[in-house]
Amino acid sequence: MKTTWSMKSKMLTKGLAVLSMSALMVAILAACGDSSTPPTAEEAGKYEVTPGDPFSAYKDEISVTMGRVTTANPKLPAGDTYENNAYTRLVKDTFNAQITDQFEANGEDYSRQVSLAIASGELPDMMRVDSKDELKELVDNDLIEDLTAIYDQYATDNIKQIYDSYDGRALDNATIDGRLMGLPATSLDSAPTMVWVRQDWLDLLGIQLDADGDGAISLSEVEKTAQEFLERDPGQSGNPVGIPFVNTMNTTDYNGSAYTMLGVASTEGAFPQYWMNGDDGKIVYGSTTEETKQMLGIMAEWFKNGIIDPQFGTRTFDDITALYANGQSGIAFGPWHIPDWGLISAKQMDKNAKFSAYTLEDADGKVNVAHANPSNQFIVVRKGYEHPELAVKILNLFYDKLANDKDAATTMPEAAKYQETGVDGSTRPFNIEVNSATSLLDDYSDVVRGIKGEIGLDEVRTTESKNNIGSIKTYLSDMDTDNVTAWSKYHSRINGVGLIDKLTQENKFVWMTPAFSGTAPSMKQTWANLTKLEQESFIKIITGSEPLDYFDTFVNNWKKQGGDQVIQEIEDEIAAKQ
Amino acid sequence: MKQGKLKARGRLGPGAMYHMMMLPGILFLLIFSYIPMVGVITAFQDYVPAKGMFGSEFVGLKHFMYMFKLPDIAQVVSNTLVIAIGKILLGTMMAIIFSVLLNEIRIKYVKKSVQTIVYLPHFLSWVVLASVVVNMFSLDGIVNQMLAFFGLENINFLGSNTWFQPLIIGTDVWKEFGYSSIVYLAAITSIDPGLYEAAGMDGASWWRKVWHITLPGMLPIILLMGVMSLTNILSAGFDQIYNLYNPVVYESGDILDTYVYRIGLVGRQYSFGTAVGLFKSVIGIVLLMSANQLAKKYTDRKIF
Repeated sequence: MKTTWSMKSKMLTKGLAVLSMSALMVAILAACGDSSTPPTAEEAGKYEVTPGDPFSAYKDEISVTMGRVTTANPKLPAGDTYENNAYTRLVKDTFNAQITDQFEANGEDYSRQVSLAIASGELPDMMRVDSKDELKELVDNDLIEDLTAIYDQYATDNIKQIYDSYDGRALDNATIDGRLMGLPATSLDSAPTMVWVRQDWLDLLGIQLDADGDGAISLSEVEKTAQEFLERDPGQSGNPVGIPFVNTMNTTDYNGSAYTMLGVASTEGAFPQYWMNGDDGKIVYGSTTEETKQMLGIMAEWFKNGIIDPQFGTRTFDDITALYANGQSGIAFGPWHIPDWGLISAKQMDKNAKFSAYTLEDADGKVNVAHANPSNQFIVVRKGYEHPELAVKILNLFYDKLANDKDAATTMPEAAKYQETGVDGSTRPFNIEVNSATSLLDDYSDVVRGIKGEIGLDEVRTTESKNNIGSIKTYLSDMDTDNVTAWSKYHSRINGVGLIDKLTQENKFVWMTPAFSGTAPSMKQTWANLTKLEQESFIKIITGSEPLDYFDTFVNNWKKQGGDQVIQEIEDEIAAKQ
Repeated sequence: MKQGKLKARGRLGPGAMYHMMMLPGILFLLIFSYIPMVGVITAFQDYVPAKGMFGSEFVGLKHFMYMFKLPDIAQVVSNTLVIAIGKILLGTMMAIIFSVLLNEIRIKYVKKSVQTIVYLPHFLSWVVLASVVVNMFSLDGIVNQMLAFFGLENINFLGSNTWFQPLIIGTDVWKEFGYSSIVYLAAITSIDPGLYEAAGMDGASWWRKVWHITLPGMLPIILLMGVMSLTNILSAGFDQIYNLYNPVVYESGDILDTYVYRIGLVGRQYSFGTAVGLFKSVIGIVLLMSANQLAKKYTDRKIF
């Protein structure tokens, strides 16, 4: 009896072991193979109430997962989240599509999430990628959907017009081997990095900046102001800090230029990180030019004298924003929209905070600017997602319908309320901008004429401008208002875009057209190292741990460690195109 | 025939049951340590996730060559070694000293509370502790305020290539010495109290007792812990450094793990990342083997 039992038990254990082993193998195999084939656009149409219609809903609720780019201060109403807010509910109501977020992240963390998603092959159904590099890699790995036919079929005329306003360059950027692989964000042609200075502090200390009133100031004026702010601590923080910069220092993306030193570079005619045409017609990397060396010389001098934050290099983006909020620093380098999401924290902490926008002029009184890449961000759809057309539909909904619907307040009350109260645009399902090439100054003209009463609200082209007019009027009637949205819209539109408009009309800009903005083959291997080399060398020079002449060593190393080869490849590529 | 088979199985019986109990452990090792080893192949390929491990193109030692050509690699390896060795030496010393001293405390609740307090940091993650450390050591942090009080110059600890390594080693020792002293305390308890009584009869001082009884008694454990920690000599603590470093201190703070993470994973150069990781493992094995041999040679004890 005992024998049988122990035998049975043995059999049982063995059986269990075999079973668990095979279950495991099945699980592993199942995880490896994914054999579902995506339905074609026509098949997907079956689920729609009106197939092929740009705004048609789905009969049965569908779900979509997303990778979301967030912002530190989105100003969402209590209870609303990135995943569940007026905008995502609008998508649910309009299309019967439920959005869930596979990941939410900000800044560098977001790039990491995207890298990890690509590495693991577990992409969300839709996400934003932030470089052509990543887009190309996704295509090489066959991870994303071809959107060519879907775009043609579903995009509204308005959306098509917007993209076409870039003479094809916007869609071109997202096109690989003749196939549209992503929906590009548009990047308006850049403007110089601005210098935002606490106007209330200037008034308090009796400093007169920009005496000639041309909107452009010199480096020495910035320097003097920073010194005054440091010595006299107008923010009464007890611990004033010089001008803070992010440790990435440069970017070729104007919109992402907050807290970079591009402004300083422009005064020397330096264009770090841009591919430029050299005097001899050869390709030159902007970070290796004599002008960039001069810029670093200025930065090093500033660091030595405390004009720059002594903790330069160690602070994160949020740390820097906190310095403005705490009243420790009052000079910020950044794009025209930085009051909307960065400097606004200063207003939230200090009712009196006001900023004036300036730009930096070179020794000849000119403002140097580089033409921007028309698009560097793309919305991509995971290969095999059943409703790829939903991406185009969401685009239609937010960048055509919501932007242009004159009756948005009644047709989409909740979303309209968001726009009115200045909830950050990042809370939309896609954190991108899709605007026509001339929209920045067109909108500005609308806003200015709207405020003056030259045109009625129904003549204003976009809902956003309409809201902005309301906000700015609020601010103009009461400059001490507690309404931070009114404050930020006045600052970004009137101070920021107003300055761009003024300088454009006065023809103050000297434009540089980059020679190249793509990726050369060998960059895949060497670029990460070269970028690190650049960042480290620049930081060493600025913080004074290496003398300025170390720059020449950097250029040498940069060339040797793969830079020369990259340049050769770019030249070949350009030659092949001609 | 049938009978014989059953009989054989019957004899294996009790042993087989115990062996079965190893199954979860073996499975765990298999799944998490051995199966992933296949991935080492990618170090010799231009790995493209879509083509998979067996479809990507083989490029031989290309990535290793590139690695040794990179001027940073020497720096990164030396940072890793300095930080890891510093942590092992100082951490072990602190833990030994602490356990010897703690053993002298006779009041039970004092002993217990001291223990609890020094164990505590071990259970907090570096994500949390990093913000504490940053706050303490930043230019306007408490440490610099103290320096200023004594009329000393302020130091930007987190942005100084001179101070970053000591800071990393110091904070790691602070976090871990309490917890790692547990084994040493256990070793002390296992020492025969008769030895102390005998030494006391011979008039040995406290110091003599520690030197001639406690420390030799702990030696096998110290050795074991030392040799075991050598496997990690090229892992100087990713979490800690990742949460504390910044581009200013890449020069002194970048270790193999953070380097691989940035260049390999964030830069999406999977093959290159794997190559560096493989390099790391090989060095780890070599070190472990030689330490084991040395231990045998000089103390006649070894762990495998």
